[in-house]
Amino acid sequence: MLDTPKEPLVRVSNLKMHFPIYGGLLRRRTGEVKAVDGISFDIFEGETLGLVGESGCGKSTVGRSVLRLYEVTGGSVTIDGRDIAHAAPEELRKMRTQMQMIFQDPQASLNPRMKVSEIIGEPLREHHAGSAAERRERVLELMDQVGLNRDFANRYPHEFSGGQRQRIGIARALALNPKFIVCDEPIAALDVSIQAQVVNLLEELQERLGLTYLFISHDLSMVRHIADRVAVMYLGRIAELAPRDDIYAEPLHPYTKALLSAVPEPDPSVEEKVERIILAGDVPSPSNPPKGCNFCTRCPSVMDICKRDEPEFREVQPGRFVACHLFNQTT
Amino acid sequence: MPDGPAPVLQPVLDVRGLKTVFKTRSGEVHAVNDVSFDVRPGELLGVVGESGSGKSVTMMSLIGLLPSPPADIRGGEVLFEGNDLLTTDAETLRKVRGGRIGFIFQDPMTSLNPVFNVGFQIMEPLRRHMGLSKADARIRAAELLELVGIPDAQRRLKDYPHQFSGGMRQRVMIAIALACDPKVLIADEPTTALDVTIQAQILELVKDLREKLGMAIIWITHDLGVIAGIADRVMVMYGGQVVEQAPTRELFGNPQHPYTRALLETIPTVRGARPDKLNVIDGQPPILGAAPTACPFRDRCQYRFARCDAENPSRTPAGPGHDAACFYDFTAGGPRVA
Repeated sequence: MLDTPKEPLVRVSNLKMHFPIYGGLLRRRTGEVKAVDGISFDIFEGETLGLVGESGCGKSTVGRSVLRLYEVTGGSVTIDGRDIAHAAPEELRKMRTQMQMIFQDPQASLNPRMKVSEIIGEPLREHHAGSAAERRERVLELMDQVGLNRDFANRYPHEFSGGQRQRIGIARALALNPKFIVCDEPIAALDVSIQAQVVNLLEELQERLGLTYLFISHDLSMVRHIADRVAVMYLGRIAELAPRDDIYAEPLHPYTKALLSAVPEPDPSVEEKVERIILAGDVPSPSNPPKGCNFCTRCPSVMDICKRDEPEFREVQPGRFVACHLFNQTT
Repeated sequence: MPDGPAPVLQPVLDVRGLKTVFKTRSGEVHAVNDVSFDVRPGELLGVVGESGSGKSVTMMSLIGLLPSPPADIRGGEVLFEGNDLLTTDAETLRKVRGGRIGFIFQDPMTSLNPVFNVGFQIMEPLRRHMGLSKADARIRAAELLELVGIPDAQRRLKDYPHQFSGGMRQRVMIAIALACDPKVLIADEPTTALDVTIQAQILELVKDLREKLGMAIIWITHDLGVIAGIADRVMVMYGGQVVEQAPTRELFGNPQHPYTRALLETIPTVRGARPDKLNVIDGQPPILGAAPTACPFRDRCQYRFARCDAENPSRTPAGPGHDAACFYDFTAGGPRVA
C-alpha cells in the first residue's frame, strides 16, 4: 500500500511512442502522431497505478509500449530491474512471463474457435510450462481462482456472458504467475452491475497473488476505487500524477480539475452543488500539438508563458507531480 | 432543474401496455413486456437500464422503426397528438417520425450519412416535413447549427461529417432532431460515445435548449449520474419491463425496487466517501425468451421469497408519482400484503 513504499517494480522514463504518417503519391513519411511524448512514472510493487484520460490521449499506447507490444521511439522501460524496451528477442521472450495484459473487449481478444481450456492454457503451452496433465490441472485451478465453473472448460467463448468472458481473459493473464499486469479498460465494455464484480475480482487477486497493476481507464470513479496512485494524461503527456486521495480531494492541474468536475454525480442533491468547469473546444490533434503546454488551447487559467514554453513535469508536493506553469511560479 | 413541471399538463406522449416480441429461429424473444409511461410538455424523462433491458427497443417500437419481421408489436397503444401511432397509417407515421418526434442516436458517426454535407442533412427534414424552399431551408439550417453552439455555422454547412469532432457531430445530430420543432425528442444514449468533458458540454446544451424550446425529452442512458443531473422523472427498466418509476429526487432518495437500490449502491463516485469494497449485484441479467411468468430480477434479488417465483409483479404505487414492480414492501420491511 501507499504508506510503505517499496522498490518500484516498473520504471518508465521519458517514454516516447511516435507513429509515422505516410501520405502523398509515393506514400512518403509526411509527419508523425506523437501518441506518447516523453512520459515518466514508477509503479511500486503491489500497487495499482491508475492511468486516466480521454480517448486519444495515448493511455492505451502507454500500456502497450510498457509491455513492448510496440517498438518504442525513445525512452526506457524497466520491469523488475530489466530493460524491456531494449531487450533482445530471446531475452524478451523469457521476460514476457512476468508481464501480462487484460484487454478491453473480451469478445475481440478471445479466439472464438478455441475452447476456454485452450485459451487459458495457451500461455502455458507457449512457454512449455509442465506436462499436459499438469497444464490441465493448472487451467482448472485458474478457472476456480477467477470464479468460473470448472465444468465449462470445454465450452467456447460465445457461450459466456461479457463479464464471464472478461474472467476468461483474466485467467489467461494469470496463467504464468506474472508480477505485473496491464489492465487496458477491462470494464469499459461491461454493464454497470457487472463492472463491480470484475473490479472486486481484480482486487482480490491482487491481494492474494501480490500483483502490480497498471489500470488504464476513462472511468474516473472506478479508478478512484481501484488505484493507489493516479496519473492523468492529456495529449501524449502526463499532466498530473498523485496519490489517489490527494488528486480526488484537491486536483492541482487545471485539466484534472475540469476532468473531475465534468463527471456526473449519481445523487441529485450533490449533483446540484457541483461546480462544473466546462472546457471549450476539443482536444487538438496529436499529429500537430500546440506549441508550449499542450493544454494551452483549452486551459481556463492560460498565461503567456504557456503558449511559449513547455511546462516541466515536477514534484510540487511530496509524491505529487504536475506539469503546469502555475506551479513553477509559486515555488 | 429536477423539480418537474406542474402536474396539470396533459401528457404529450402516452404509451400504454406496449409489447414487442422478436421471432427468432430459437423461439420468441419478449423484449418489451407491458411497458407503460407518459411524458408531459417540457418534461425530461430519464430511462435507465442495462444492455438488453429493452429501453432502446421500446423507443424504436413506438415510432415504428423496427423491421417486421422479426419484430412484432403484440399490443399496446402509443397516443400522440390524437393518433395511436401503432395503428395509424404509414403516411401519418412518416410525418411524425423525424418531424413531430425527433431522434438522437448514440453514435453520431454511424447515424450521419458520410457522403452528404451536414447542411444537406439538416435541410432534408426541413424540406420534407416543413415544405420549406431550398433557400429558406438553408437559412434555417444555419440558425439550427448556431443554436446548438457550432461556431461559424454558415460556412460549416458545407462540411462533411468526418470534418467534425465527436462532440460537434453530436451537436449536428441534435440540430437535425430539432429541425422541425419537435414536441418530443427521444435521445438514445446520446453522450455514451463521448468523453466526459465533451459530455458535460452536451448536457449543458440540452439543459439550455430545453428551457428555450420547451419540448418533452426522453433521455435513455445507463449512466445514473447523467440522469441525476438532468431528469425530472426517472423510469428504471430491467428484463424488458419497467421496474420502477419516480420523480428524480424521490428515486435517488427513496428507491423502492431491489434492483434500483442495488444499482445505486454499486456505482462508485468521484466525490464524497470512498467505500473500501464495492457492493456487487451477483449473477447476470436475465436472458430474454418467453413472456415472463415470474419476477425477472428474482435470481439476483436478496429479498426473494416464494411469490416472486410464482408471479410477475405489476407496478404498484409507492408514493406520489412513484411506483415499483416488487412484492417486497420496503416501508413495512416485509412482503407486500395482497
